[in-house]
Amino acid sequence: MKIRIPWLGVITTLVCLMVISPFLVIVPVSFTSARYLSFPPQGFSLQWYQKILDRPEFTDAFLFSLQLAAVTAVVATLIGTLAALAIHKYNVPGKGFVTTLLMSPLTVPSIIIGIAALLFFTRIGLGGSFAGLLLAHILIAVPYVVRLTLTGLSSFDYTLERAAYIMGAKPFNVFWDITLPLLRPAILSGLIFSFLTSFDNVTVSLFLVAPDTTTLPLAIFSYMQETLDPLVASISSVVILLSLVFIFLLERVYGLDRLFGTNTQSH
Amino acid sequence: MKALDVELIHIQKKFGNNIVVDDFNLQVEQGECISFLGPSGCGKTTTLNMIAGFLEPDGGELKIKGKLMNNVPSNKRELGMVFQTYSLFPHMTVAENVAYGLKLRKVPKAEIKQRVAKVLETVRLPQVADRYPKQLSGGQRQRIAIARALVTEPSLLLLDEPLSNLDAKLREELRDELKRLHKEIGVTTIFVTHDQEEALYLSDRIVVLSHGKIEQIGTPWEIYNEPATEFVHTFIGKSNKLTGEVLRAEGDRLLVQLDSGSTIEAPLRGKSFSGGEAVSVYIRPEHLSVSEGAAAAAGGSQLTGKVHLSSFLGSFTEFEVATGQETMTVRLPAMDRLRGLESGETVTVSWNPEHAFVFPRKEG
Amino acid sequence: MSAPATRAKRAAYQAALLLLVPAFIILLGVFVIPMLYIFLMSFQDAKEQFTFDNYILFVKDPYYIGILWRTVKVSLLTVLCCLLLGYPVALFLSKASGKMRGFVTFLIISPHLISVVIRNFGWVVILGDKGWINTILMNLGLIEKPLRLLYNELGVVIGLTDAFIVYMVLSISTSLYAVDSSLFKAAGILGASKWTMFRTITLPLSLPGILAGTTLVFSLSMSAFVTPALMGGTSVKVLPVITYEKIMATLNWPLGAALAFLLLASTVVLVTVFSKLVETKRYKEVFAS
Repeated sequence: MKIRIPWLGVITTLVCLMVISPFLVIVPVSFTSARYLSFPPQGFSLQWYQKILDRPEFTDAFLFSLQLAAVTAVVATLIGTLAALAIHKYNVPGKGFVTTLLMSPLTVPSIIIGIAALLFFTRIGLGGSFAGLLLAHILIAVPYVVRLTLTGLSSFDYTLERAAYIMGAKPFNVFWDITLPLLRPAILSGLIFSFLTSFDNVTVSLFLVAPDTTTLPLAIFSYMQETLDPLVASISSVVILLSLVFIFLLERVYGLDRLFGTNTQSH
Repeated sequence: MKALDVELIHIQKKFGNNIVVDDFNLQVEQGECISFLGPSGCGKTTTLNMIAGFLEPDGGELKIKGKLMNNVPSNKRELGMVFQTYSLFPHMTVAENVAYGLKLRKVPKAEIKQRVAKVLETVRLPQVADRYPKQLSGGQRQRIAIARALVTEPSLLLLDEPLSNLDAKLREELRDELKRLHKEIGVTTIFVTHDQEEALYLSDRIVVLSHGKIEQIGTPWEIYNEPATEFVHTFIGKSNKLTGEVLRAEGDRLLVQLDSGSTIEAPLRGKSFSGGEAVSVYIRPEHLSVSEGAAAAAGGSQLTGKVHLSSFLGSFTEFEVATGQETMTVRLPAMDRLRGLESGETVTVSWNPEHAFVFPRKEG
Repeated sequence: MSAPATRAKRAAYQAALLLLVPAFIILLGVFVIPMLYIFLMSFQDAKEQFTFDNYILFVKDPYYIGILWRTVKVSLLTVLCCLLLGYPVALFLSKASGKMRGFVTFLIISPHLISVVIRNFGWVVILGDKGWINTILMNLGLIEKPLRLLYNELGVVIGLTDAFIVYMVLSISTSLYAVDSSLFKAAGILGASKWTMFRTITLPLSLPGILAGTTLVFSLSMSAFVTPALMGGTSVKVLPVITYEKIMATLNWPLGAALAFLLLASTVVLVTVFSKLVETKRYKEVFAS
């Protein structure tokens, strides 16, 4: 009897393994009791987690990244949601063009966005400032929020607003009681996604951080170019854990498959 | 005379250069149930949306309870409306949905509770108060939508194709329900439909629309039996069309020579025709009767032909009879002894001349 | 049209414009104007005089041409890997049940939401000279000295494939979901074998997905910076890495700006040429939107 190999299943399993393998090795490595990266990881210890606390450059960077991502998320979600509402609800003339314009930062490599921001901000005196970094992060997060909200709005039933309106609701009531609650999943995922976008960003931050304040991914990036030791693994594990929480949250409120169009940013 | 609840006076609406509602005049009495009937694109929904305040007329006056409503926003018109897609708020429970309009009116909580319970009782769904719309069936959602529209005791209830999203059996059930509710509550109602049966069944008066113009306003009986225009006659019910030319008028009768050569007569109904004018004569299938064998003399109000198809449709049987150039459909009660007519048999089709309708035929 | 209707429309229009203002301020101030600014700067010399030197240098100097070629080569290899590995996954997804589809999609997308720096670190641990693969192979006695899997073009391609395969999979699977499954029944009744069905139905109808995925992965690979920097080391310098060095290390901003636009231009040109090759007349007729 001929044995049929389910090739598609085999390759799919391999690809899934490939994309999660970095995380599958990082976590065990972070618990090693050795003083260097080794295979197989030796013993079990939390020493590399303890060592994080001795390194203020990482703990500071972590807190800084959290703050930056939080502010970015709030501002970008506000700006992006308003823009999407304007496009979809009020039927602005040339809305195709406006949408393309708002999405355009996604079509330019982020390294070029970083360079342009650095050179221009330096010229106008914003070089190395928190404001400059924040503005650039907002710029790259807004398109995602716009897209998420537009997707949310595409299935929005405007007769619900009419129904409220004819029942006697004022425009503010309609927005607050009907529109906003129904857009909540889209807005929430806009918040989470822009948080992650900012928190993970390296390429734009690279050009815009001040020498004394750096983001966590950038701190890891710089450290990795000098040294490779299990400290990176323990810090990474913390970030992975944090990201997983957000990813599951995102999957619950929105669904990851809906999240990805076919047009996204490079690293 | 009863008070006028709604008046539409020379209402006009354009989308760009396209006139979608033209010179619409209608007076609705208190407690009446009026339907706007017509094919899609006839302007019925546009007119309803103007009454609701979602669209502003480009000309004419709209009055509700005697007050001019042009440019009054819909949230100040005190209307109730049921939408085609139900449009229940998915994030609110049934009770919250129904209570929403009362909350906006700052009705005390205890009273809201009591009124919501009462209206849910009226639509016979008190048990679903705490469910979300998603957990309801299509028919239940429709009833809740009606309850939500009624709870504020609106001066006018608007229904936009209220039954079109339901399957056939449920549609009949809800149709009965709507009729019962209208009788019970007596709220002035305007509804839009493309379903003639629904309109005939529910309305006190029907407004038949075509291409933005009113074709006829009348009771269901008038619309069916005294159609004012060819459109009304053909849109409502099935009918046989015979084409020919006017020979002459004889008293209140018109003699028409059919394309097949036979001459038939039809009542003039106050209209006037000129000799040689191209006309269509319509007779409904259920107004025809059939007898075996050829007629002694063709013409007048009978034609001879051959049966070429018979279809049994439960409560009645339909025969197609070829009479010269025309094919006439005859509808007989299924119990009629002639149900066994064979294909190819020669028969005589006859009718009461009062049931024939003549309309001038448009060229082209 | 009467005045009130126009007034209401104008008010709504103004409200919409107001809502767009913040987004456009960001777009202009952080994107459009800076881009124009560095475009102008790329035509300046050290004394801020107009010059084409920065671009001429690139064309004349074989060093830069070599770097561009390496960048294109690495990107093409990445596209190829993503296509070969991603197509079967997309096919699997299109045939899988809803639950399985959701699970696999989740597995493939979620790593993408974790920083690429961390993923690259994982790959360094796996692929390094003393990494997991080399240690296992040496312990098994299959090799004597470590395989060079990192700090060369292979390493970069592995890293980029891991990072971008998600786009290939999603692009292709989207186009496969749109294929009417009754087509296969029809082809089956006509007697088509599985391979014939794939060749004559699945593959042609997924062309738009392949095109979209290929262009996307290619553009992303051309401009990738972190992965080449971490997994290519000093030996695989691609255009984005060189550009970074010109800006941050040698502080030659006009040249860096020129390199940035050359990167953008070469990507756009190659993508356009490729699309034109695929979008034949027949393709356009079939997939006309």
